Parts: sequence; structure tokens; C-alpha cells
Amino acid sequence: MLAHALHRLATGAVTLLGVSLCTFALLQLTPADPLGERPATGPGLSPQQIESLRQLYHLDRPLHERYLRWLGDVLRADLGRSLYDRRPVAQKIAERLPLTLTLNTLALALAVGLAVPLGAAAALRPGSAWDLATSAAALALYSVPVFWAGVLLQWVLSARLGWFPLYGLEPVGWGGAGLERLAARAHHLVLPVLCLAYGGVAYLSRFVRNTLAESVRGEAVRAARARGASWWRVLSRHAFRQAAVPMLTLAGFVLPGLLAGSVIVETIFALPGLGRLFVDAVFQRDLPVVLALTLISGTATLLGILAADLAYGVLDPRASRGSPR
Amino acid sequence: MSGRVPWVFALAWSVLLAGCAAHEDKPGDRTDASKPGPETGTVVAVLSNDPQTLSPIGKTDVYSATVASLVSDSLFRYERGLRLVPRLAQRYEISADGRTFTFWLRPGVRWHDGRPVTAEDVEFSVRCARDPRNESLYLDDFRDLSRLEALDPLTVRAEYSVPYADALEGWTLPLVPAHVTGGDTSLLEGPLARMPVGCGPFRLARYEPGRAVVLEANPEYWDGAPGISRLVFSIVPDRRTAYQALLAGEISLLALTPELWAQAEREPRAASFTRLLYHPLRVWHIGWNQRPEAAFFGDARVRRALILALDRESFNRSVLRGLGRTAATTYHPDSPWADPGVRPWPYDPARARALLDEAGWSDRDGDGVREREGRPFEFTLLTASADEVTERMAEWMQQSWREVGVAMRVERLEWRAFLQRRNAGRFDAAMSSLSLGAIPDQYELYHSEASPPGGLNYFGLADRRVDALLETGRRTFDPERRRAIYAELQHLLHELEPISCLYHFAEPILYDSRLEGLRPSALGLFDVFPGPQAWHWRSGAAE
Repeated sequence: MLAHALHRLATGAVTLLGVSLCTFALLQLTPADPLGERPATGPGLSPQQIESLRQLYHLDRPLHERYLRWLGDVLRADLGRSLYDRRPVAQKIAERLPLTLTLNTLALALAVGLAVPLGAAAALRPGSAWDLATSAAALALYSVPVFWAGVLLQWVLSARLGWFPLYGLEPVGWGGAGLERLAARAHHLVLPVLCLAYGGVAYLSRFVRNTLAESVRGEAVRAARARGASWWRVLSRHAFRQAAVPMLTLAGFVLPGLLAGSVIVETIFALPGLGRLFVDAVFQRDLPVVLALTLISGTATLLGILAADLAYGVLDPRASRGSPR
Repeated sequence: MSGRVPWVFALAWSVLLAGCAAHEDKPGDRTDASKPGPETGTVVAVLSNDPQTLSPIGKTDVYSATVASLVSDSLFRYERGLRLVPRLAQRYEISADGRTFTFWLRPGVRWHDGRPVTAEDVEFSVRCARDPRNESLYLDDFRDLSRLEALDPLTVRAEYSVPYADALEGWTLPLVPAHVTGGDTSLLEGPLARMPVGCGPFRLARYEPGRAVVLEANPEYWDGAPGISRLVFSIVPDRRTAYQALLAGEISLLALTPELWAQAEREPRAASFTRLLYHPLRVWHIGWNQRPEAAFFGDARVRRALILALDRESFNRSVLRGLGRTAATTYHPDSPWADPGVRPWPYDPARARALLDEAGWSDRDGDGVREREGRPFEFTLLTASADEVTERMAEWMQQSWREVGVAMRVERLEWRAFLQRRNAGRFDAAMSSLSLGAIPDQYELYHSEASPPGGLNYFGLADRRVDALLETGRRTFDPERRRAIYAELQHLLHELEPISCLYHFAEPILYDSRLEGLRPSALGLFDVFPGPQAWHWRSGAAE
């Protein structure tokens, strides 16, 4: 078990190295450099100025040298400074991480909290009116684009009814603190969380319904029903347990999903999360920021897969003894 | 399995709490001054992204420049008519040879921390602008500065190696204090980058990255305290969200997109807001590749013919919703240097056809496209963006030129790829927006030596008369003689039509009608004298 885990960690480290190298190379292939030419509007820096900056930031050095320099800094826990505003990359990410984590955690909780009962209810009576209705509703919900849903939520619940704030994390330029601030923030996050969660509800409820429906038809469940066990007992003791293995596959993506910002939701609701930071950094060719975020999400993905992998072994001992994929 | 859900909720709340705790609180600042209006004296404006720096000197983005112009002050500033007015410079003198400038500073001006503004600060500010690490636009303005010295605490003398008639423009540089950084001229990573100390009408109260820049009035400002108590920039990347917030009264003024402008005309809630239009220092233009090796646009008659074939007035009314102003040259119509005698070319398809005939392009095979020496007049127009207005303009031009026997194909490129192609001269014609200066010198744009990457003459104009006028103009200090030189240049450029200026696009603004003192200018509403320091809420106003 331990050897298996160490093996996966080692391959994971190699994968991360590959991911960072690819990101580095891809951004070099885009037809411009971060200091770039004159901006679309407004005058820009002179060519001499750009040349001296390039030397200052080592952008004039060959690719492999710059990559090794970056790698060396990362190993010394230094993510460098952003080319956009010359602030430390670690600080920029740390500022935005709590918001992204909060949003994603709440959205995930909401999605799971709604999807599991909805899906389970449908799985108990496959083909029933309830099953068909939730199925149709989930399909409809899943097809609604996020940018549209966001604008609609803003327009109805905020602009028209005034129930929720339009945008932001708290009133702009407001100096509230403590519980009052917590309440303000919770109030501000309702619409973005709804916006992030509805697609998950649709998808997860169908997923729960399908995996459960399969185990409900299985022999263990039928035997339990025959013994006169209640539906609740059958579901919690037998059906969910059997469905746990396929659900773990999804759980492996939960960790990276919690770190991934949604650029659309963050833009519509003007929230400073990691999604906007990443997309802005790509457009600005802000290499240190892009690399740091790639590295973090890569690590989270690998850890998530590793965790799911190890959990398989616990739930189903057959899985870990075979050749590790 | 069922135990998982509460666990996830617990995690979420702990993260939410942690997020709050991690944020720096400033105790004692708990007034509900966030709602804009006469009750609070607060004005809320919008930036669509974070300023790259809050240091008054450094970086080139418009957000940084906006904040810098409010937090600090400079020796000179542009007023609405695009003329320089002395601000911190009480008076100045230029030597007869045009190489020595002496400035006498206004006494009694203080930094936000109470220290006096001195000649030493001016000298330090210039050193900061010249430090390449600050990525300042002003670096170029001081390239020919050979010597700068403080003669006494309130007098500065600058010597240039070459006389330059527009050298005063560099002195719109916002000042930074010499005493904060201990003489370190690298500002972007130092204390001034996040907590600037200036001497302007506003001072920074708080910066919340990704969310807001909060400025408050400086009651000690030498020219009188501003009429509003706080100016908050809310950082909202989506203009539609900002528009809804404006209608809800959370934002006081907002620049709209053409689509939102049209929407606001039908929106009853928008009726109580005041509308304002200004034409920024930009022009939408087509550059014609007239290098000797280029195929189509070496002849000025052809270039003129194509602009004569466009009915810009009716396109402006029908498609641009009146937001375009037909342009004549790269001299902005609000500039004191623009010659009123140079009018935009009218719509005259008959004259366009005659000019094309004269230049040897005629349709001999009757297929609707002219040709010369066996080569059909079919060219490619490069564009950089695919927004609706650009697309509609390209379609309209395609159709208009087809009617005079010229075929045009559109090629859309990503902005950086567009610039690369254009600057390398691999194009027939290229359409984009061009920034204009307030100064009359346009050497960088039109001189035959000003090819990219150093200059902007990507279209390959090489005309001896133009070169001579540009060279004389930048060495002539006498305003009347200068005016004559640049008037002649504008007439000449109008005949040569090396680039075709299409429109100056208006920036439409919607603002709270209780807010007074906002005046349109080509420089916008912020970085101009008098800017937000002259704004005030109409007191006791009922909606």
C-alpha cells in the first residue's frame, strides 16, 4: 500500500515537471512576449525601453536557461513576481484563494446536497413520473449556459426584486467587520454560488440516479427488500455502498475543482477569484502567474487522483493488488 | 456516506470565516459611506481591471494613470482645450536657444504626509521616470535631458542636449516624494506602489485588490479641497453588471458600450441619468501600404479615391448610432493645432471613379473589377478584432468599393499577430484605432525615418516635404510660426492621404444627474484639469 502510494507520488512529480515544461513552451510559442508591442490604445514603451526591461527580467535569455532558472526558484519556494504589477505571485494567489475555495465549497455542498436526494428518489422508481420529470428538468438545467444564467439571476433576483446584491463580495468601499461582514459576504455570495451549483445539481443527480438504479436492481438489494428492510435501510446499507466505487471516480476531481476558478461567474459578479487571475494572466502573457497556477492545479489534480486511487484500495482490495494501471 | 454532507458545510463555513479573518481590517472605518450620493459625498466610478501600480510614476496602463493623476500633481497639466496650464510650476522660462528650461515652484504645497514639495522632489521624480525598472511612459520625454539641478528649494533648471519645442509635455509627469523611499528610484516593488504618497487633490484611503481603490478628498490641497469627499473606483470587469449597478444607484458614473448606450435609450430607469459624450484622443483609421514594392496604394490618387467612395455620414447615422465623428486628419478636432480649413473628404463616388481612371485602373474586361497592366484591383484589408462594429464597417467598405470597381477581402487577426504583420509591411491595407497626442509634433507617425518598431510609420510614407515640415516644426518655439508649419503639414497630408482617418468614436457616459461639474473633453473626465476635484453633489436635490 505504502509502496504503491510512493510510486504514484513519484510519477506525479514527473508529470508535474512535464506539465510546467509544456506550459512554459506553449506560452513561448504565442506570437508575442509579455512586454510586447504598443498596446491597442494609448502609447507604449519605446523599443529601447522594452529591450532594457527584457534584460532586467531575463527575457532575453534562451528558453532552457529561463526554465531552469524558474524551476530553481520554485524549488526554493519562490514563485517570482507578476509581470503585470510586479507583485509577488504567491501573494496574488493567496489573496484570491480563500474566495475561490469558499465559492467552490459552497457550490459543491449545494450541488451534492440537492443531487443525492433527487437522484436517489428517482432511482427508487425508475421510469416513474418523478424520474421522468427530474430527468427532463436536469437536462434543461444542464443546457443553460452559465453566462446567461448569471445575467438572468442578476436581473430577476437583484435588479428587479432587490433580494440579493448585484456584484462584489461586500458593498464597495465599505468598512464593516466581524459578524456583520460575514453576513454581508454570505448575502453577496448567494447568486454566484447558485450560478456555480446548478450545473452540478443537474449532472450529479443523473449520476446518482444511474449508479443507484443499477445497484437497486442488484441481488443484494432485492434480498434485503425480501427480508423486509425499509427503503431507507436498503439505500444506506446496500445501494450506496455498491455505488461508492463509481462515485469515487468523481470525487478524485473534487480537489482540483475546488481550486479552479470560474472565469465567467467571477467576471459577471466582479469577484476577484483565481479564474479571472488565470485568464487575465494568459492574455497578458504573465508567465510567472500562469506557471504558478498551472503548477497548483496540476498538484491538486494529481493528489485528487492519488486519493481516489488509495480509497479504491480500501473499498475494494482487489484494485490495489493488480497492476497499478 | 450520509455523514459527508454536513462535513462539507462545516468546511465551507470555516473557509468563509478564514477568508474574512485573513482580510486586513481597518478598525474605526465603519461609516456607511459606500452608498454614493449627496448624503455621503461619495462618488463611485468603475475601472474594468486593477491598476498595474498605484505609484504615480510607473507602468503605462490607463487605470494606473487615472489614479496617479488624482493622487499626485505635476508642474503642468492639460486643460479641456488640450492646452498646457502651469500647476505646481508658478512660472517658467525657456532660453533663447530652446535648450534650458527654468521652473519656479509654487510655495506652500505639501505632500499628503505634511512635508513640503521641493525642487529636490522634482529632480527625484525625473530620476524615477528615467529608471527603466519603472516602465514609465515619461522615460522617452526625458531622453534628451542632459542636466537637471535644483537651484534652490523652489527652483529647478533643466538642460536638454537638443532643443525640442514640445519638451514641456514631459513636465506633466506626476511627482513622487524623495523622502519616502530613501532615494530608491525603483518604485514598482517599493512602498509607493501600494500606498502612494502624493500631493494631489485626493489621497489613497484603501486598496482592495480585485475589488476597489478608495480615494478620499485631501482637505489640505493647495488649490482648495475637492467638492466631493470620497472617490471610489469599483473594479468591475463586466460592463453589463456595472450598468445594472448604475441603474440601482450603486455607481455614479459609467462609460457605456455602444450596445448599452442604445439599450439605455429605451430603458425608463436610465432616463433620470445625464448623458455625456466625448471624443477621446483616438482615431479609427486605415493605413495604406505605400512602400515601393507594394502593389496598390503607391499612388495618392488611389488612396483618395477609396476614401471618397465611402459615405461616412450615412453609415454613422444608420449603424454607429451617431457615435462616430467623421475625421479629417490625425489632428484631433478639439486640438488648438487642428487647422479648421482641412475638412473630411466628402462622399463623392463620381470623383472616386475619375481618380481611379486617372491612375490607370480601369475595368477593361467588364467583370466589375478594375485592372491595371493585367492585374485586377483586389486587395486584402487586415483587421485586428472581430467585434460587431468592425465587422459592419468592413462589410460596408467592401460594398462601397465594389461600386467603384475595387474588390476587397477581409482578413481578421489576433491583435499581436496583426501588429507583427503590419509592422513587417506584409499587408495591403490595415484598419485599427490610433492614439493621438495633444502635441502638434507627429514626427513618429509620418517621418520617413520613423518606421517600426521605433516609430509608427508602418505604411511607408516617404515624402521630402513632409519630412522637412516635421523637422522644422519640432525646433520652432514661436507659436505663430509653429501654427503655420503644422497648418501646411495638415493640408499636405490631406492631399497625400497616407492613411485615411475614418471616425473619432465617442465615449458615451451616463452619470447621476445630481452630480455637477463634469465637463466633456478629449482627455476624458479624470486625467484633465479641472478633473474630479471640481465635481460636487447638488445639495438637497430631489430626484
